[in-house]
Amino acid sequence: MIDRRLFKIPGIAPRIVMIAILTLSQAVMIVIQARALSIAVVQLWNLKPLATIVTPTIVFILSFLCRHLLTVAQNRSFYPFVEKTTGKMREQLMTKLFRLGPSLVEKTGTGNMVTMALEGIDKVQTYLMLIVIKIMDMGITPWVILLYIAFMQWKEAVFLLIIYPVIILFMIILGLAAKSKADRQYAGYQRLSNNFVDTLRGLGTLKQLGLSKRYAGNVYSVSEDYRKETMATLRIAMTSTFALDFFTTLSVAVVAVFLGFDLMDGKIMLLPALTILTLAPDYFLPVRNFANDYHATLNGKNALQAVLDVLETPETKDRDELKQLTWHGDSALKFDDVSLTYGDVDTPTLSHIAFDVHGFQKVGIIGASGSGKSTLINLIGGFLTPDEPGHVSINGQKLPHLSQEVWQHNSIYIPQSPYLFHATLRENVSFYQPNAADATIKAACDKAGLTDWIAELPVGLDTMIGEGSRGVSGGQAQRIALARAFLDDSRKVLLFDEPTAHLDIETEAALKEDMLPLLDNRLVFFATHRLHWINQMDYVLVMDHGRLVEQGTPAQLAQHDGPYTKLRAEMGGLHALD
Amino acid sequence: MHSIKQTFAHDTWVMPYLRKYKWLLVLVLFLGMMTFLSAAALMFNSGYLISEAARRPGNIIYIYVPVVLARAFGIARPVFRYSERLTSHNWVLRIVSDFRKKLYQAVEVKASAIKQTHQTGDILSILADDIDHIENLYLRTVFPIVVGWLLYLFIIVGVGVFSWPVALLMVLLLGMIVLVIPLLSVAVNGAREFKQKQIQSSSYTHLTDEVMGLTDWVISGRYQDFMTLQKKPIKDIAALRRKDHFFQWWRGFGVQFFFLLAVLTLLIWSGATFTASKGMANWIAAFALTLFPIVEPFLEVSQGASEWPIYRQSIERVNQLSNDQPKLTPQSTLTAPVSEISVNHVTFKYPDDDKVILKDVSLNIKRGEKIALLGPSGTGKSTLLKLLLGDQTPTVGSVTINGTPVSELQQQRAQLFGVLDQQPYLFDTSVMNNIRLGNLKATDEQVKAAVEAVELKPLIESLPDGYDTEVQESGTRFSGGERQRLSLARILLQDAPIIVLDEPTVSLDPITERQLLDTVFKVLHDKTIIWVTHHLAGIDHVDQVRFLEDGVFDMQGTPQALYRDEPRFRKLYELDTGKNERV
Repeated sequence: MIDRRLFKIPGIAPRIVMIAILTLSQAVMIVIQARALSIAVVQLWNLKPLATIVTPTIVFILSFLCRHLLTVAQNRSFYPFVEKTTGKMREQLMTKLFRLGPSLVEKTGTGNMVTMALEGIDKVQTYLMLIVIKIMDMGITPWVILLYIAFMQWKEAVFLLIIYPVIILFMIILGLAAKSKADRQYAGYQRLSNNFVDTLRGLGTLKQLGLSKRYAGNVYSVSEDYRKETMATLRIAMTSTFALDFFTTLSVAVVAVFLGFDLMDGKIMLLPALTILTLAPDYFLPVRNFANDYHATLNGKNALQAVLDVLETPETKDRDELKQLTWHGDSALKFDDVSLTYGDVDTPTLSHIAFDVHGFQKVGIIGASGSGKSTLINLIGGFLTPDEPGHVSINGQKLPHLSQEVWQHNSIYIPQSPYLFHATLRENVSFYQPNAADATIKAACDKAGLTDWIAELPVGLDTMIGEGSRGVSGGQAQRIALARAFLDDSRKVLLFDEPTAHLDIETEAALKEDMLPLLDNRLVFFATHRLHWINQMDYVLVMDHGRLVEQGTPAQLAQHDGPYTKLRAEMGGLHALD
Repeated sequence: MHSIKQTFAHDTWVMPYLRKYKWLLVLVLFLGMMTFLSAAALMFNSGYLISEAARRPGNIIYIYVPVVLARAFGIARPVFRYSERLTSHNWVLRIVSDFRKKLYQAVEVKASAIKQTHQTGDILSILADDIDHIENLYLRTVFPIVVGWLLYLFIIVGVGVFSWPVALLMVLLLGMIVLVIPLLSVAVNGAREFKQKQIQSSSYTHLTDEVMGLTDWVISGRYQDFMTLQKKPIKDIAALRRKDHFFQWWRGFGVQFFFLLAVLTLLIWSGATFTASKGMANWIAAFALTLFPIVEPFLEVSQGASEWPIYRQSIERVNQLSNDQPKLTPQSTLTAPVSEISVNHVTFKYPDDDKVILKDVSLNIKRGEKIALLGPSGTGKSTLLKLLLGDQTPTVGSVTINGTPVSELQQQRAQLFGVLDQQPYLFDTSVMNNIRLGNLKATDEQVKAAVEAVELKPLIESLPDGYDTEVQESGTRFSGGERQRLSLARILLQDAPIIVLDEPTVSLDPITERQLLDTVFKVLHDKTIIWVTHHLAGIDHVDQVRFLEDGVFDMQGTPQALYRDEPRFRKLYELDTGKNERV
C-alpha cells in the first residue's frame, strides 16, 4: 500500500505536518457541525420557536462550510508540492533516459518507457495526492470524533472503538482470500483479455486461412468466458468492500438502537444522543474513502515503484576518460580480449574479441544471424559496456568502455531502419548539426541523392516527415541518414548495422552508388549479410556464435579455406543461371 | 447538449444495447437507487427512533418498529450495494462480449490479407481501448447519473407529499447539483479536452521521437535540446491539470454548498411544520438527518458527467467504423479446378488518391506456373496482390480465375489461395492448434506430417511440451525462419491450388533465406505460385520473372533468358551473388 521510498521524497515532511494540522482542524469542524445541528434539532423537538435555533444554525452553516473549505485547502496546499515533485521526476526520468541510452529502452521496451513517462507519472501524481491526505484523514479524524463521543457516552465509544479493528480484520481476511483466488485465476484471465487484441492483430492471417468470418463466434464465446471468470473474481473482490459496508452501516444502526434504549432508560439526554448519531457515519467515512480509492492507490504505488526503479538504475560511469579525440589517418582503435555478457544470461554474447583497426580503414563484419554482429556494433558505438574495463583502447589509452562522449561525437550510427523524427525534412537532415546553413544542407541532400525526391515534395525541405506524417520509403530513409552523415563532416567514424538488409535489390544498387563516396576518408564498420559490400571493404571480421573466428583483408581470407570462404559459399549459394 | 445529440445521431453502439438488455438495466438502476434510499432511510428512521425514545414512552413497544427498521435498513444498504455492483458489472461485461463481436465483424469486412502494417495494429489497439471506454461510460457516467436523477425525483416527490412550495425549492437547490453543475462540468471539460488532446499528442509524439531516436540523440550529444523538447509540454500539461484539479475541488465545494442549503431548507421547514404536538416534533430529527447519505451519489453525478468528453470520442470512433462498410458483390462458385489466372488490362488507383498505381497491366498465369514479381517499394506489387486476392477491385479491367472475376469468388477464397507473408501471425495457443488453423478437420497425424514436410519435426519434438508447446504472444518463442516454416505447414494443410508469397524472406539472413526458399518450392512444387520478392536469391525456382516499375511491367522473361539478354538484370544478379568487383 505504501512504498517506504515515499517518505524519502525531499521536502515531504513539512507538508505532512501541514496536512495533519488541516485535518485536525477539519475533525474539530465535523464535531462542531454535528453538535450545532443537534442543538437546533433538539430546540425544535422541545417545540421552541424557530428564533431559538438561529445561533446554532449559523454555527452549523459556518462549521459545515469550514469543513469543506478545509478539504479544498488541503488539496490546494499539497498540490503544488506534488506537481513540483512529479515534474522533477519526469525531468529526472528524461535525464536518465539520455544517460542510459538505448540499452535502457531495450530492457524496458519503447512502449513501456513512453507510458511510464506520461501515464505512469500521472498515476504517481494521483497516488501522492490521495495517499498522504487519506492516511492523515484515517489517522486523525476518527479518533477526534471518538474522543468526543467518549466524553459524552463511554459505552457507545467503546463499541465504536472495538468494531473498528474488527472491520479492518474482516477486510484483510476477505481481501486476502480474494487475492489468492484472483492470483490463481490471473493466468487464464490475462490470456482471455489479451485474446481479443491477439485476434484483431491476427485478422490478416485468419482472412488468408478463410477463418475470419467463423471466428466472430469464437470472439463472442471467449469474451463470455472472460465475463464469467471476471465475475467469479469480482464476486470475491467485492466481498471485502461488502464487509466494510456491512459493518459500518450496521454499526450506525446498532448505535442508534443502543442510544434508543439508553434514552428510554433515561441514561442519556436527546442532545448527546443525536450528536453521537450524527457523528457515527463520519467516524467511518475516512476508512470507507480509503477503501474506495484502493485501486487507484495500488496502481499509483506500482507506477511509483517502476519510476523509482528506473531512476535508481546505475549509470555508466567514466564517460569522460578520453579527453580529446579527432579521428584521423593515424588514429588507432584496439580491442584486446573483450567479452560481453547481458545481465540476464549466463553465457557471454561476445567472447574474447580482439582486433586492431586504424586510420580510415573500412571494416566489414559478416556472420549468420545471431552471430553477434549487431552486439559488436553496439559495443563499438558505446551503447553497451564490456564485462571488464581496460580491454579497449584508443590511440593507446586504455578505456573502461567506448561510451566516451568524445568518441561518440566522432561517430555516426546508421541502422537497418534509421529513425526519422516527426519534424521537417530539414530538421531531420541537420539533426547532428542543427545550425547548419541552408546551402550546406542542400549540398548534403544532393550528395545523398535526395534532390529529385525533394523537388517532388509539396514544400521541399520543409515537408513534415516521420511517424504520422508523410510516409518515407526505406530507401529514402537511408538516404536521409546518409545526408546527415554527409552534412557532419567532422564525424569520421561510421557504424552501419545492416543498412540495406530490407531494401529491394534495385533500390540497394542505386543507394550503394551514393553511399560509396561517404565511406572515403572515414573509419567504417559495416555489419552486413549482403556479400557485394565486401568488395568495398579492406578488412573483414567474421563472426560466429559470439566469437571472432577469422579476420583479415578479403584477399587474404579468400585464399585459404576458412570460415570466410565457407560463409561466402553458403550465403552466395545462388545456382548459376548462365 | 448539442454534442450529445450529434454523437448519438447515427449510433449503433450504445443505444441498441441499452434496449437489448433493458430489464437487467432496470434492475441495476433499481438496486443503485435502493442502496442510497436505504442509507437515507436508515438516518431518517434513526433520527425518529431516538427522538421518540427521548420522550421516554412507557413501553418498549413504542420504539419496537423503528428498532427493527434500523437493523433492516442497516443490512439492506450493503446488500443492495453489493448486488448492484455485481449486476452492473455483469451487465456491462455482457455488453462487452457483444461489442467485441461487433467490432471484430466491422474490422473483419475491411481487413486485407496483405500487409497488415504495424500502424493498423496500433489502430486496432485503440479500438480495443475504445471498448473499455464504453464499458466505463456505463459504470462511471450513465449509472451514477441516472441513479442520481432517480433519487432527485424521489426526494422531490417525497417532500411534495407534505408541501409543494418546499418541493419546488428542492427542485431548484438539488437541481443545481444534479443538472446545472454536471452540465457546467461537461462544458468546461469539453473545452479543455480539445486543448489537452493537442498538448498530449504533441508531447506523445516528441516523447516517442526521443525514445525511438534515442541512439541518434545520444550520439549527437544534444542534451539540452533533448531536455527542452519535453519541458514545454510538461509545463503546459501541468498548467492544464492544475486548472482541472482546481475546478474539481471547487465543484465539490459547490455541491456541498447547495446540499447545505437543501438540508437547511428541510430543517427549517420541518421546524416550522411539525409543531402541532410532541409526537409530531419527533419527525424533525428524521428530516434533518435524512439527506446526509445522499451527498455521495450526488457528487458522483458531476464526476461522471465531466468524463463524458473522453467517452464521446470513443463512441464516435467505433460508430464511424461500422457506418462506412463496403458493399458486397454477389458471389458465385467455381467448380472446375483452377486452370488460369488472368489480369486483363488492369488500371488501379485508390478512390481518395490521384496517383495511378497500376497502368494497364496484363498478366496470365497458367496452372502450376511459378512467377516472381520484383520492383522497388511503392511500385504497386502489394496492390497487385490485393487485386489478385480480391481485397481490392480494379478501377479499369478485370482479374479472373477461369474467367470468373475474383471479387465473385470471395467465399471460396481460402480454398483457392494460400498466403505466406512477411510476418505470419502465430496465435497465442499451442503449436498444434496454430498449424491446424490451416484445416480445422486435420487429424494430429496430418498436422505432424505437415510439420515434418517443413523440416521442423526435430525442433518441435525436442521441445519439452512437443506439439502442445504454447507459442506465446506474437510467436516470440520461435525465430523468424521457424515462424515462416510453421505458417508454411499451415498452408500445406490448407491445400489451396494458388499460393501467394509476399516477401516471406525479407527479415531473414541469406542462409536461412535460401534454406526456407528451397523448402517452400520443394513442398509446393505442384502449386501455382505468385512470389513477390525484394531480391534475386532463389530466382532460379521460378518460370517467369516480372519487374514492376511505376505501375507497368518493364522487364519480363525466364530468369535464364533475362540473365542472358538483359544487362540490367545481370548486374543486379551479380550484385546479389557478391561477384562483381565494381558496381
